Amino acid sequence: MSTRIEPNVQFIREMQAAGGESLKKCYQCATCSVICPLSPEEAPFPRKEMVWAQWGLKDKLVNDIDIWLCHNCGECSDNCPRGAKPGDLLAALRNMAYKSLSKPAIIGEWMSSAKYLPILFGIPAALFLIVWALTTGLTIPDGEIIFAKVYPTLQTIDPIFILTVLFVVFTFATSIKGMLSSFKANGLEPKEDSPSFFKSLIDVVKDEIISHRKFKDCESNKDRYPGHLLVFYGFIALAVVTGIIAFFYWTNKLFGFGMVTPLALWNPVKILANAGGIALIVGLVFMTRNRLNADPKKTINSFYDWYLIGVIWFVAVTGMLAQIFRLADAAAPAYIVYYLHLVSVFMLFAYLPWSKLAHLVYRTVALAYARQIGRKGLGE
Amino acid sequence: MSNSSILVIGGGFSGLTAALEAAEVGHEVFIVEKMPYLGGRVAQLKHYFPKLCPPSCGLEINFQRIKNNPRVKHFTLAEVVSVSGGPGNYDVKIKISPRYVNNNCTACDKCVEVCPVERDSAYDFDLGKTKAVYRPHLMSFPMRYVIDDQVCEGSSCAKCVEACEYQAIDLEEKEKEITISVGSIVVATGWEPYDVSKLTNLGAGQISNVITNMQMERLAAPAGPTTGKIQRPSDGEEPKRIAFVQCAGSRDQNHLDYCSYICCMASLKHCTYIREQYPDAEVVIYYIDLRAPGRYEKFLNKIQQDEKVLMVKGKVAKIEEDSATGDVIVTAEDIMGGVKKEEKFNMVVLATGMQPSIAVNELALEVPKDEEGFITGGEDKGIFAVGCAKMPLDVMTSAETATGAALKAIQTVRR
Repeated sequence: MSTRIEPNVQFIREMQAAGGESLKKCYQCATCSVICPLSPEEAPFPRKEMVWAQWGLKDKLVNDIDIWLCHNCGECSDNCPRGAKPGDLLAALRNMAYKSLSKPAIIGEWMSSAKYLPILFGIPAALFLIVWALTTGLTIPDGEIIFAKVYPTLQTIDPIFILTVLFVVFTFATSIKGMLSSFKANGLEPKEDSPSFFKSLIDVVKDEIISHRKFKDCESNKDRYPGHLLVFYGFIALAVVTGIIAFFYWTNKLFGFGMVTPLALWNPVKILANAGGIALIVGLVFMTRNRLNADPKKTINSFYDWYLIGVIWFVAVTGMLAQIFRLADAAAPAYIVYYLHLVSVFMLFAYLPWSKLAHLVYRTVALAYARQIGRKGLGE
Repeated sequence: MSNSSILVIGGGFSGLTAALEAAEVGHEVFIVEKMPYLGGRVAQLKHYFPKLCPPSCGLEINFQRIKNNPRVKHFTLAEVVSVSGGPGNYDVKIKISPRYVNNNCTACDKCVEVCPVERDSAYDFDLGKTKAVYRPHLMSFPMRYVIDDQVCEGSSCAKCVEACEYQAIDLEEKEKEITISVGSIVVATGWEPYDVSKLTNLGAGQISNVITNMQMERLAAPAGPTTGKIQRPSDGEEPKRIAFVQCAGSRDQNHLDYCSYICCMASLKHCTYIREQYPDAEVVIYYIDLRAPGRYEKFLNKIQQDEKVLMVKGKVAKIEEDSATGDVIVTAEDIMGGVKKEEKFNMVVLATGMQPSIAVNELALEVPKDEEGFITGGEDKGIFAVGCAKMPLDVMTSAETATGAALKAIQTVRR
């Protein structure tokens, strides 16, 4: 039986633009599928993705769960005899998935190229500037430096970020639904005796994410592991801090006990916050160094990679500097840097579903689904 | 007036052919061979293409032609040290390492009987051993023994000197240097098997039952270390399941970034060796693409008829040892079936490619080369590359390039 293949040339070009520029070099030897420690026995990846990509089979690729099982360790690209960089292709497909899965699509478009950076920066920059104009008329407040003087929690920070979070959660909810139904459309269904999705999710978090186990599985990933782990736990620490601060803000408001920011440096919550910030920065140093030192014959860095690293740097550096200026009692720099910090945090979270950071959600969901249907690496 | 002599660097099949073609039309020819014998890689094979002759066939005829032609002078254990001058008038300095065995040698083997030192036989790719004094191989030409001075204990032992009835052994022999004048140079430096220690994902040469295609030739050759029996190096067991790993380090930008032309055919040929000895042995050939140039396709078709030879499209990218049994676990994706599988074999043969010898050991002659070390020019200087010094080839085509180069060399010196 012969099948007529209709190559989607436009799609091939998109993949090449999104980071898979060397995909045409592949000659289908399958070294990559063998070398990948995460690649399963049945229909292993990424060899099949390489041929689908060369043939422009968009339908197959956009519904492919395997792009999420890949942890981008680069072992396949290191061993590829042709320099076809299968690791980069899968990264490119994920970048394209961020763009196509999450709605509204226009934000995905903005996130796909450096030329839209002014828009991405401009939105929060204008928003927080307007807020500043409304609170203190763009002036630097006198007295002790308390950021709430310019950005009061109740009236500004909470509504803006709660709305942002709701927006992001809603976006993810719809896109995850789409993602799971596309896996099903591809014939990947849980069997009768499969565990529930929820149980698989818990197992993935416990068994894989907390330990970064799969991240460690391949030799080529050794250098990336500490960077990713530090950034990951840095964020966890900061998320915990944010949660505690928010909780005590409300207990204070409602019941009259709790903590009021700024916290003293010795406060355990403040220590946790600073530890998280330092972990973030150290992790970023690792990540940036790895990206800069990457052998261009083995991998290239896409805009998605640099956007995420850049924004996290932006968040970490402005966060730290705001604190330092506050402690140094330098009011004008402190408030301005804090303003930039809010802009950076907005850029990180509001655009999350379209940025590379969306892998946090999509990969977790895909890993859980893969676990539920029993799709795992050969020998795992 | 140009010098009408021709220098041939390398005494393998290509070099012999070029030398004889030129000598038989009247030119003086010097063959400079690094090894202690002529015949090169072909001498190590069990059978060679296109007709699957044993090497004694083609080489024997050429050796006869050399013996009968006073115009061919050959130096073994010899290397070119420097070349000066230009086309028509080259002065070539040649270093001749001591053989320690002179022309009196009758190959009686008495010296070997008394020699106390053993060495790994590089000729057998370390599958066998020889004494420090040894015959290069069964039909070596010149038929003279040689002493490996890296391991020989020298005059403190000298048991061989005593045992030799013909005063053929001189342990005091020294390195010599000679200068010859030639008008043209044929480079027939041939190839080296790619170094498997670089193939880390394929065992890096550390797994005893993973051998190379050239080791397979030695195992199967009647005069080889096992007198022709194909057996596992680890325990001498007869293999029942054998895998061939094609493109082991070939067509790979991390190793040899080109196809070596004949390795597919070599593996198919090895199937005939295996089938001859083991009618029931199972063979799996893992390949990316099978290359059967020209008429060789018929040979491929013949092997494909063998029901116990399975050809799987998918490169082996992982080889591990099962330490309990000495078996070898091979991982590959069967691309047609889309399944990635680990398979166990008793023995695995890596079809390694050919690397130009001068990429491994530098040649003291300036000549344009490509990135891989294959010679790409030199003709304007009266220097002609032949055989696998030029590109990976089979024996037949190598001989054709040699004949062509002989003609060009003659044209250079007649000008």
